[in-house]
This record gives sequence, structure tokens and C-alpha cells, in this order.
Amino acid sequence: MSVLKKVRWSPYVAGALLGLVSWFSVLTAGKYLGVSTTFVRTIGMIESLFTPDRVASLPYFVKEKPLIDWQVMEVLGILIGAFIAAKLSGDFKKRFVPPMWENRFGPSRLKRWAIAFLGGVILMFGARMADG
Amino acid sequence: MSWLASFTEKEVIRTTDLILGLITGIFFGFFLQKGQALKYDKQLGMLRFKDFTILKVMITAILVGMVGIYFFVDMGIGKLSLKPTVLGANIIGGLIFGLGWGMLGYCPGTALGATGEGRFDAFWGGALGMLVGAGIFAEVYSYIKDTFLKWGDLGKLSIPQVVGIQHWVVILIIWVVLVLALVAVEKKKL
Repeated sequence: MSVLKKVRWSPYVAGALLGLVSWFSVLTAGKYLGVSTTFVRTIGMIESLFTPDRVASLPYFVKEKPLIDWQVMEVLGILIGAFIAAKLSGDFKKRFVPPMWENRFGPSRLKRWAIAFLGGVILMFGARMADG
Repeated sequence: MSWLASFTEKEVIRTTDLILGLITGIFFGFFLQKGQALKYDKQLGMLRFKDFTILKVMITAILVGMVGIYFFVDMGIGKLSLKPTVLGANIIGGLIFGLGWGMLGYCPGTALGATGEGRFDAFWGGALGMLVGAGIFAEVYSYIKDTFLKWGDLGKLSIPQVVGIQHWVVILIIWVVLVLALVAVEKKKL
């Protein structure tokens, strides 16, 4: 199936297929596609290594318990699915500094890491705030 | 293994759910990658209004998803999952999210997907940062859950409910508007 080896599909085809994935998700597990709760659960699991009683009683971790659920597996699946897709088309490439970033800010990995990390902190804080 | 196992015993998590989650995610990541939606250059391109690939993928996904899901709900084989509209939290949180997204160039899902493509800034920078951000929010939550997180709480709203129009009519209107928007974007070669 050579279509699987193509580097890029039409964004409309990819989008429509993603819509179908949401149908599958609702039909099979009654779940909607989501990702950020998994980050809450994962940090809860990590913190439980060190302060399990505190995690068990912190209101946010009572609300979103540190456990491996449907979404945690979905998130793992995203990584795997992307890997397979990229490998099939040769689009897999180990790279730290994205081209557009490098053009503007230079090749420094440290600079890229610092902003990427800070961006991740801010993004997730906002996501969880908005999520309620 | 028992530390890990303790997280699957605490609640009744059916194994089928876990497998279905994995399968769903694999397809999710696969199609995102093929649509080029995982790339930093595409996400920043979108935020800078120079490359509308991400918009095309998202809007098409919404248009297709919407139809199926409401069909399932009408058939009684699916349920909507409405989140409460809380104006303060939604707006401020959204703005903060946007700031972080612009800095990182990936969102939570695409960061994992980009990692799968070999773009390791998404993992060592992005995903680790996201874990820290989640941890920080977990601490802050205790202080804001009964105050800020309740400002402008309008409850669980849906567009059909608010405008008082049957959902299939709303879906049709949204289809018309969004398809016209996509046609306009294509015409301008964005």
C-alpha cells in the first residue's frame, strides 16, 4: 500500500480520518480524544514515588487520580502511531532544533530546550486552568 | 512492577478500555503525522498565519467528528461530554495556553507525536515542561478551586441549547460557514 509510504497526505484527508478516529473512540470506549489529563495523572504517579500520602490527599489529584487509564494508553498510542507513520515514509528524523526556530533564533540546543521547557510549563498550566 | 500495578488496581479499569485507548491513540498519531500536523514549522506557521495546514486538518476533523457523534447520541449509542463553561478560567487559561504553545510550538498531543517523529525538543523540552506545569497547577488548584475557578461559571452549555435551534440545523450552518472559510483559505493559497 504505497499511500502509507507517502510523506504527506492532504490535510483534508488526514482531518477527515481524524474525525473518524473520534467516532471510533466514542463508539468503542465512550471516550473523547484528549491528552492533557494524562500529564496530570503522570506527574501524580511520579510524585507518588516520593510523597504518596500527600498526592493521595491533594484535591487536584483526588479529582484526577494518578492511574493508568484509557487516555494514558491513547497518549502512548499517539507516540507509537506517529513513529510508524514517519518510519513508513522516511519522515522520521532525529532533530532537536526545528528549522523555523533555527532560522530565527540560531542553532543553540540549550536555548531551544530552555524555551521549549518553559513553554511546556506555561502551556500545560493554562490548559489545566481552562479545562476546569 | 508493584508501584506501577498499584495504579491499575485502585479503580476498576477494564483491560479492553486500555487496549482500545492504545489502538485509538495509534490511529490518532498516525493520521496526525501523515497530515504533517506534528511539525513545529506547521504549528508556528499557523500561529503566524502563514501556513493554514493545521487549520485545515482541525476544521475537517471537527466537521466529520460532529456529524458522527451527534448521530451516535441520537441513536442512543453515544453520550456528549460537555465541560462547564467557566468564563474566567476558560479565557485566562486559554490565553496562558496560547502563550506556552507559541513558545514550544507543540501542544500536549502533538508533542508526544513529534517525539515519535524524532523531534526530541518536543520531549525533553516540551513534555517534561508539561509535566512540571501540571504539577504546579495541581498545587495552585487547592487555592483557586472555590474562587477563581468559579468566576463566570455558566454550567454545561452547548450551542444548540443556547441558541435554541435543533442540533442538526446548527450542524448544517456550521458546515456551510466552515466549508466556505476553507474554500476562501484555498483560494488565497494559504
